[in-house]
Amino acid sequence: MARLIWLCLKCIMLYSTVQAVFEDQVGKFDWRQQYVGKVRFSHFDSHVQSSKKVLVATENNVFASLNTRTGELFWRHVDKTGPEGNIDALLQHGQDAVLVVGNGRLLRSWEINIGGLNWEIVLDSGSFQSACLVGQQDTVKHVAVLKKTIISLHYLSNGHQKWIENLPESETVDYQAVYSGGNGEVYALGVVPHSHIAIVAYSLEDGEIIKQISVEAPWLSNIQASCSVIDQGVLTCVDSATVSLYMLDLHLQSQMTQIPLQAMLVSFATTGEKTVAAVMSPKNKTACSINLFSGETGRRLLDTTLIFNLDPNGGKPEKLYVQAFLKKDDSVGYRVIVQTEDHTLTFIQQPGRVMWTREEALSDVVTMEMVDLPLTGTQAELEGEFGKKADGLMSMVLKRLSSQLILLQAWIAHLWKLFYDARKPRSQVKNDVTIENLSRDEFNLQKMMVMVTASGKLFGIDSKTGSILWRHYLNNIPSNPAFKLMVQRTTAHFPHPPQCTLLIKDKDTGLATLHVFNPIFGKKSHISPPPLPQPILQSLILPLMDQDYAKVLLLVDDQYKVSAFPSTKNVLQQLQEMASSIFFYLIDSSQGRLSGYRLRTDLSTELIWEVVVPTEVQRIVSVKGKRPNEHVHSQGRVMGDRSVLYKYLNPNLLAVVLESTDLHQERSFVGILLIDGVTGRIIHEAVQRKARGPVHVVHSENWVVYEYWSTKSRRNEFSVIELYEGMELYNSTVFSSLDRPHAPQVLQQSYIFPSSISTMEATLTEKGITSRHLLIGLPSGGILSLPKMFLDPRRPEIVTEQSREENLIPYAPELLIRTEWFINYNQTVSRVRGIYTAPSGLESTCLVVAYGLDIYQTRVYPSKQFDVLKDDYDYMLISSVLLALFFATMISKRLAEVKLLNRAWR
Amino acid sequence: MLHRERIPLLWFFFQAVVVVAWCFTDMETGPGAGVSTQPNGDRFKIEGRAIVPGLKTQDWVSTARILVEGEEYVGFLRTDGSFAVNDVPSGSYVVEIVTPAHRFEPVRVDITSKGKMRARLVNYIKTSEVIRQPYPLQVRANGPHTYFMKRETWGWTDFLMNPMVMMMVLPLLIIVLLPKVVNTNDPEMRKEMEQSMNMLNPNPELPDVSELMTKLFSGSKGSSKAGSSSSKGTRPAVKRR
Repeated sequence: MARLIWLCLKCIMLYSTVQAVFEDQVGKFDWRQQYVGKVRFSHFDSHVQSSKKVLVATENNVFASLNTRTGELFWRHVDKTGPEGNIDALLQHGQDAVLVVGNGRLLRSWEINIGGLNWEIVLDSGSFQSACLVGQQDTVKHVAVLKKTIISLHYLSNGHQKWIENLPESETVDYQAVYSGGNGEVYALGVVPHSHIAIVAYSLEDGEIIKQISVEAPWLSNIQASCSVIDQGVLTCVDSATVSLYMLDLHLQSQMTQIPLQAMLVSFATTGEKTVAAVMSPKNKTACSINLFSGETGRRLLDTTLIFNLDPNGGKPEKLYVQAFLKKDDSVGYRVIVQTEDHTLTFIQQPGRVMWTREEALSDVVTMEMVDLPLTGTQAELEGEFGKKADGLMSMVLKRLSSQLILLQAWIAHLWKLFYDARKPRSQVKNDVTIENLSRDEFNLQKMMVMVTASGKLFGIDSKTGSILWRHYLNNIPSNPAFKLMVQRTTAHFPHPPQCTLLIKDKDTGLATLHVFNPIFGKKSHISPPPLPQPILQSLILPLMDQDYAKVLLLVDDQYKVSAFPSTKNVLQQLQEMASSIFFYLIDSSQGRLSGYRLRTDLSTELIWEVVVPTEVQRIVSVKGKRPNEHVHSQGRVMGDRSVLYKYLNPNLLAVVLESTDLHQERSFVGILLIDGVTGRIIHEAVQRKARGPVHVVHSENWVVYEYWSTKSRRNEFSVIELYEGMELYNSTVFSSLDRPHAPQVLQQSYIFPSSISTMEATLTEKGITSRHLLIGLPSGGILSLPKMFLDPRRPEIVTEQSREENLIPYAPELLIRTEWFINYNQTVSRVRGIYTAPSGLESTCLVVAYGLDIYQTRVYPSKQFDVLKDDYDYMLISSVLLALFFATMISKRLAEVKLLNRAWR
Repeated sequence: MLHRERIPLLWFFFQAVVVVAWCFTDMETGPGAGVSTQPNGDRFKIEGRAIVPGLKTQDWVSTARILVEGEEYVGFLRTDGSFAVNDVPSGSYVVEIVTPAHRFEPVRVDITSKGKMRARLVNYIKTSEVIRQPYPLQVRANGPHTYFMKRETWGWTDFLMNPMVMMMVLPLLIIVLLPKVVNTNDPEMRKEMEQSMNMLNPNPELPDVSELMTKLFSGSKGSSKAGSSSSKGTRPAVKRR
């Protein structure tokens, strides 16, 4: 019986912890934006006149179909990352799109209307060069694939190989392009750089070589970069050195004709019988003009000029994709997609109207921060009232009254606006969020998301709607950059503007630059950051503030010299006072060295500890500290017998993840070291044998959760380490790493997880009262919110009275993935790379942004919404019950009076 | 209480300020992640078919993917619902079909070094247990994903069956109906009732909550039925005035 009750209780408890989305909450406070990445190939679907599709293949190994009217996705296929999913070529014929994937390893054919696969075949190995469709008398039936030494022909209907031939002289000639003109011949074009072009013609039927030609072209070094074959077998090349167009008829001539032109970018398109070249040329500093040129004659077509305005916060145009179509009067009309350096796609229709833009840089977000929005004038007024010092009772009362008056005024204005808007038709009322009307809401739920992308473009996004409020392109980004974004001053220090600092480091040289900007408006700050001539090893933001309330950023260079930003006199003085208590650590993963340093008063440093991991056995994979803005509400846990088990809350604790260099499945292992960052003392060491990475770690409060792959059982496992001081606190007022004689008690437990994971993060709330959840990004695109309760090393194997008292869930080896726990329901997020959590003004609510190929923003309530009324709160019921009770009392009062009166008469 | 509040502050200032800044030293995952498969070894193909009962394939294939061992190998569905994942070396893999709309059970596929294939149920706890599944795979969707919790809807029956309401309604019924059923003027009956009341209230020293409440409220306005004993005295007096 007791067991049954326990089971019931457990069920109730489990259900009460279930945190899920209700169906009517869909889209209320969450949004998703889907991206494809930097476009490599693009094709307008032109086989049907009314088609509004454009196919894109991107550098992120994504193949997608976009709607040309709106810029939205019809469908999208995300292949695996890395070179094996790399898309080498995109061809389109009718309803089929043929892709060459993985450096010529796979040939895939897609049905573009429904987005399904037609067929997929494996090609012979060899470095891929080019591919083309091969037709005969207007019916396309084959695909030719050119590799370094071979050329092969495949049927378009099923992918089977028709013939395969070796290329002649493949040692000297670099074959780069393949072409077929529809006359039963396939041409392979090769180039001997700065000498000539070699053309080999094959028979379509059996792959026999028909003829070989060579054409002088001393200016040409790469066919793919500068040439394209347009219809009727005309090879057209652009020479950027002399800014001219070369044309060569593959069937007839053996001499190139030269047409000079003024251009930045050229793109070719064919419609019906006509081939046109769209040429973009700079007009002035802020605009470019695009003109159409006839492919046959090279003459400019009339009335085809289109102006493209450059975004001052964007990059230069990089590529041009043209969709040409015949108008009713048989002239050629066109639309273009302009791709700029910052990966933006802009779709322009002929008079120069921008139909849509896609910020594809957001498919590669590297790091982000959420910044509070500034207060409005009235809010600031109220806040100011509390900030000022008291000066007499009377003036305080007056001040209070005046601020109340201002509030009333604002409220009336708001009401008036509501009333005014209500009279207008609904379509006209727009609640556009602009930078001007941005202000903090009551519970600080709306924030500014500052996102840094790999391309070097910064974005400011409104977290409520997902609209991009500002963008800024940094055009001096190194090729292999690392970014770190820091908030130096929040919006809380009113006349001073908020300030963010982005540290951009070149991974190859180690040299870094700082970009200081205002996170609300995106404008570059007038404060000039110090020049950093030395490579930077470590950067840390201190809780110290200068007189303008900007936190101090310390930068450690490779000479172990420390420089501060801002470096005013005030800051340097504070630093000198604090120097003896400022410690930092450095990691050299190539040498396996972890070292701790202390700051001296003259801003030099001194080595105080060093841990060396033997690099021949294992290597340091990652180091995780705790988040500086994390609050822990309770110092301990109340046990079943009413005693308290105190948490070991060391803010200086580092979790160091080690992986073995030996990857044999019997000998590989994963290790985790818990090191105190001040003293270098190793608090705990755990090793998982027969395991390998990738290891994902979350380190928070007094626990570390990590996930690894168990090679022995071929499954993913979670392990949790919790640290406790014991039943007594050594020093309850302050934690000092230098004065902790007792080692903490360590508890550990492991679980099976039925899926691999992409990334992991813990929820974060304002005061840390709300229970914690782990947010786990899965490869399927779901973001699982797993209660930390399930990852508790005190989960008992045998249930006792005490563990029941503590609400511990009995141990079960397998953790479940319940789709109710997916915070993003069916709005899957592809390739989640990071999850960012930020506290809101409400203790129950944590703001979550998951970024990867897509961006998804939502709110989570790990302990449900205990501090606000539920959004399905039944106002009707409560008011009707109140009213009913009121009337019932009135009626019963009347009845009682009548009864009393009757009794009195009796 | 006081010291507990002070602790976070002190953490910030007094004690060693190791700013555990997220380290800027680069942590690239070095080579070795993909070394486990030899580039020259034989590569095989995992084949199968996914079925969603009652739906045309073109309605869902564009959102589906085949994931082999996480995202290690990725395949796509053909327009007829069949799939093939190429270029997979020998080993044991969990094959999942993921779509945002439908739920498919994962399958474990073992490939020997000679290319023999076997499919079995996934069991993470007993990893060596073999419950054979058909190969080439035939995976049938077992319903849509349930992402949403049901809202508690409000109905009369829910309201009436609520224990709080029951607790309110039943005594009300007793108060209203009992005097009509039982003749309270009967002295024997009264005695019996008093006895039973004493039985219910085993601890006479404990102040009775209901008594307390009546005392509290009888001083002020007694408009409800329950507070009749005191209002009986005052009310007629008021009327007479």
